[in-house]
Amino acid sequence: MTRRVLRRVAWAMFVIWAVVSLTFVVNNVLPSDPARMVAGPQSRPQDVERIRKQLGLDRPLTRQYASFMHRLVHFGPSSPDAKDPVHGTCGTIGRLHFDLGRSYQQRRPVITILAERLPRTLWLAFAAMLVQVVVGTGAGIFAATRKGSWGDHLAVGTSLLGVSAPTFVIGLVLQFVLAHELRLVPLDGYGLTAKEHLVSVILPALTLGVYGAAFYTRLVRDEMIVLMKKDFIRTARAKGLSELGVVLRHAFRNALMPLVTIMGLDLGALVGGAIVTETLFRWPGIGALSVTALLDRDGPVILGTVLVTSTAIVFSNVLVDLCYAALDPRVRG
Amino acid sequence: MRSIRRTTDLALAFAGATLALSAASCDRALAPPIAAAHEGEGTPERGGTLRLASFGDIRRLDPAVSADLLAGEAIELMFAGLVDYDRQGNVVPDLASRYEVSQDGLVYRFFLREGVRFHDGDEVTAADVVRSIERALHPSTPNPISSFYEMIEGYKAYVEKGAPHLEGVIEDGRYVVAVHLHERDARFLPAFALQNLRPVCKSGGDRYEDGWLPCGAGPFKLEPGGWDRGRSLTLVRHDGYFLPGRPYLDAVSWTYANNIGTELFKFQDGDLDVLRDMNQADATRFRVDGRWKPLGDFDPDRTVSGESMNTQMAPFDNVEVRRAVAAAVNREEYHLLRPLAVEAAGQILPPAVPGYDPTFVGQRYDYAAALEHMKNAGYPYDPSTGKGGYEPHVTYYAYRQGLSEYTAPLLQQQLAKIGIRLDIKMVNYATLLALAGRRGQAQMSAPGWGMDYPDPSDFFDLLFDSAGINEEGSLNSSFYSNPRLDAILEDARRELDTRRRYALYGEANRIVCDDAPWAITHYYRYFLVHQPYVKNFRPHAVWSDYVSESWLDRSVPRMALGTSVWSDVMGLYRQASVRGARP
Repeated sequence: MTRRVLRRVAWAMFVIWAVVSLTFVVNNVLPSDPARMVAGPQSRPQDVERIRKQLGLDRPLTRQYASFMHRLVHFGPSSPDAKDPVHGTCGTIGRLHFDLGRSYQQRRPVITILAERLPRTLWLAFAAMLVQVVVGTGAGIFAATRKGSWGDHLAVGTSLLGVSAPTFVIGLVLQFVLAHELRLVPLDGYGLTAKEHLVSVILPALTLGVYGAAFYTRLVRDEMIVLMKKDFIRTARAKGLSELGVVLRHAFRNALMPLVTIMGLDLGALVGGAIVTETLFRWPGIGALSVTALLDRDGPVILGTVLVTSTAIVFSNVLVDLCYAALDPRVRG
Repeated sequence: MRSIRRTTDLALAFAGATLALSAASCDRALAPPIAAAHEGEGTPERGGTLRLASFGDIRRLDPAVSADLLAGEAIELMFAGLVDYDRQGNVVPDLASRYEVSQDGLVYRFFLREGVRFHDGDEVTAADVVRSIERALHPSTPNPISSFYEMIEGYKAYVEKGAPHLEGVIEDGRYVVAVHLHERDARFLPAFALQNLRPVCKSGGDRYEDGWLPCGAGPFKLEPGGWDRGRSLTLVRHDGYFLPGRPYLDAVSWTYANNIGTELFKFQDGDLDVLRDMNQADATRFRVDGRWKPLGDFDPDRTVSGESMNTQMAPFDNVEVRRAVAAAVNREEYHLLRPLAVEAAGQILPPAVPGYDPTFVGQRYDYAAALEHMKNAGYPYDPSTGKGGYEPHVTYYAYRQGLSEYTAPLLQQQLAKIGIRLDIKMVNYATLLALAGRRGQAQMSAPGWGMDYPDPSDFFDLLFDSAGINEEGSLNSSFYSNPRLDAILEDARRELDTRRRYALYGEANRIVCDDAPWAITHYYRYFLVHQPYVKNFRPHAVWSDYVSESWLDRSVPRMALGTSVWSDVMGLYRQASVRGARP
C-alpha cells in the first residue's frame, strides 16, 4: 500500500512539473509582450524596453526557465526580510523556501497573493461541494427510491434544468432574486468578518453547486436504480433489514464509487478556481486572479495559479485512488 | 477597506463609520466650506462618503509607476502636482502658486505655495519636488511613461548612463524649482501636469520600492488597510490640504472588479452614488427618463479608433487603396452599433483634445469616391457583378472583448462593397498589440488611442511620425512615413505660440486624413449617472470621476429607478413580509 501511495505521489509530482513547464513555455512563446502589458498599451518602446530588462524578460528563455525552477523550491534563512533581494519573495516552511517571483502587475510576491486568495477559494470550494453532495445525493436517493413517482419526475426535471443552464445564468437569476429583490444575502463580495464570509458564500456556492447537485442527482439516481435490482439488495431485504438500512448501507455505499470519482475531479477543479462564478460575484479567489493574470500576461501569477490548480487536480485524483481502496477491498489488491 | 454589503449590520457599520469620520473632522475645527463655490449647486456641505465602483481593478497607486485611468482617479486625489489640468484641460498652477517660462522656452520656474503639508504632516519643499522627480525617473523605477520627460536636461545621462542626479531639475531656493530643458518643447508642460512626477512624502524615499504606503499632498489620503487589493479602496480627507475648506467629502470609496449588472443593482439599492459601467440598454433607460437625464453626463471624447493600414504591405502601400478604404467606411453604421457611446469620426483628434477643429471635415463616407479610388489604384470593382477589386484576401487583426468584435464584421461588409475581401483574425488584446506593432506582420488592424495628456502631439507624434516606427512594438502601426509630416510635427513640438502650433497640427491633420494610414472611424465616450444628492460631479477633460470638488447634499433624497412588473411583485412581497403575512 505504501509503495502504491509513493508511486502515485511521484507520478503526481511529475505531472505537476510537466504542466507548469508547459505553461511556462506557452506563456513565453505567445506573440504578446508582458513588458508592454505592464507599461501600458500606449507606452513608448524605450519605456517598454527598460521595463523588460527590469523584469528580466530580456534574458534567453532557457535562463529564465532555469532561474524559475531553481527558485521554485530551495533552502534559505528561516525568516527572510521582505526587502531581501534574494529571498524577499519567498514563502517559507522553516528553511525550505518556495518562490514564484513577483507579480509583474501588482509588484508583490506571488506567494503572498496566492496565500491571500487560496483560503477564499478553498472556502468557496468547500461550500459548493457541500451543496453538491448534500442536495445531489439527497435528491438522487430520493428519486431512486421513488422511481416513477411525481417526486422522481420533479427531481429528474429539475436536475435537467440545473445541468443545462449555464453558470452565469444561474448566478444572475439567484443574484437578482435572492440578493437584489429579496435582500436575503449580499449581492457580491467576500466580506470582512467571519459572519460576513459565511453569508457572502451562499450565492456563489449555490451557483456553483446547482450544476454539480443536478449532475450528482442524476448519477446517484441512475446508479442506485440499477443497484436496487441486484441480488444482494434482495438478500438484505430478505434478512429483515430496514428499508433505510438497505438503501444507505448497501445500495448507496455501492453507488459511491462513481460519485467519488466525479467528486475528486470536481474538488480539484473548484480549488483551481471557478472563473465565471468568482468573476460574477466579485469573489477574490484563484479563478478571478487567473483571468486577470492571463489578460495582463502576468507570467509569475499565471504560473502560480497553474501550479495551485494542477496540484489540486492531481492530488484530488490521488485522493480518489486512495478512497477507492478504502471503499472497495478488491482495489486494495 | 471594505466591500459594500446590503446587510443591516453593515449598513449600520457604514453609517457609524461615516458619523465617526464626521465627528473626527469636527473635532479638528476645519475651515468652513467655501460658500456658493459652484453656481447652481447650492452651498457645499462637508461630510459623507462618496461611493464609486468599477468593473476594472487597480494594480499600483504609486504615481511613479502607474499610468492607467482607473488608478489615476485615486492618484489624482492623493497626489497634488506643481501644476494640474482644469476641467477644460488647461494646465493651471496647483501646488505651485505660479510658474514662469524663460524667453527661449528652455527654463520653467515653479514657485511653490508655502506651508503646504504632505499627508504625514511634513512641509512640501523644493527639495521634495526634486527628490520625487529623480525617484520617478530613476532607471530602477518601472516608470511606464519616463520617456515623456526626455526633453529635460540631463535625462539621458540620468536614465541611461547612471548619472547620480538629474541635471535639469534644480532646487532654486526652499520654494522654487527650476526645470531646464535641453531643447524647446511645447509638450513639456502638459506632460508635467500628469501624475507621474508629483511630489511624494519622504517615506517614499529617493528610490522607488514596492510596498510603500502611498503618501502625497492631495486632498485625500490613504490610511493603512485602506486598500484591499482586488476588492476596494477607501481614501479619507487630508485635513491639512492646502485649499481652505476643501475637500468637502469625508471619504471616497471604490469597489473594484464588479460585474456591470451588479453595479446597476447596487446603484438601484443605494449602495453606490455614481454609476459608470452599464450596458447600452440601461444607459438609454437613464437618458430617456426625464428625471435622470439631468443627472447623466458623458465623459469628454478622449479616444479615437480607426482601421490601421500597413503602408509597407500590399495593397496598402498604394495610397489610392488607403483612400478607397477611408471613403468606403460608413461611420454612421459604426455609430449605430452603440449609439450612445460611439460617435462617427473623420479626423484624428477627439473633441476633448486641444487643437480639435470642429469645422474640419477630414475623412468621410463617399461610396462613389471609394470606387473611383479603387479604379485609380488599378483595382476597379464592379458592384453589379461583384467582379474585380483586390483579389488576394487581406488579413485583418481585431481583438475580442471589445467593440472591435462588432466593428470587424461591419468593416468586412463595407470593404467587400469596393472589392477588398477581409480575413478577420480575432485575437486577444495583448496579442493584437504585439502583432500590429511588428513590421511586416499585420496588413490591417484595429488600433485605438486614448489621450495620455491633452495635447495634439500625444496623437500625431506617436501614431504617425516616422520616428515612431520600430521593428517590434511600433506604435505607428501603419508604418507610415512622410518626411513632410515629420517636419511639421517637429516644428509643432518647438512652437510655443498656441495659435501657430494648432495651425501646424491642422496641416498635419489634413495630411493624415488625405494619406489615410488610418481610416479614422469613431470616438468612444462613456456615459455616467449619479444620484441627485451628489453635487458638483461634472466631467473633467483629463481625469475620470474627478471628485475633488464634489460634495453630498443630505437634504436631497435618493432617487429610485423606474419600476417594472417584477419590481411591483417583489414590492408587494416585501410589504407583505413586513406585515408578517404573504400576499
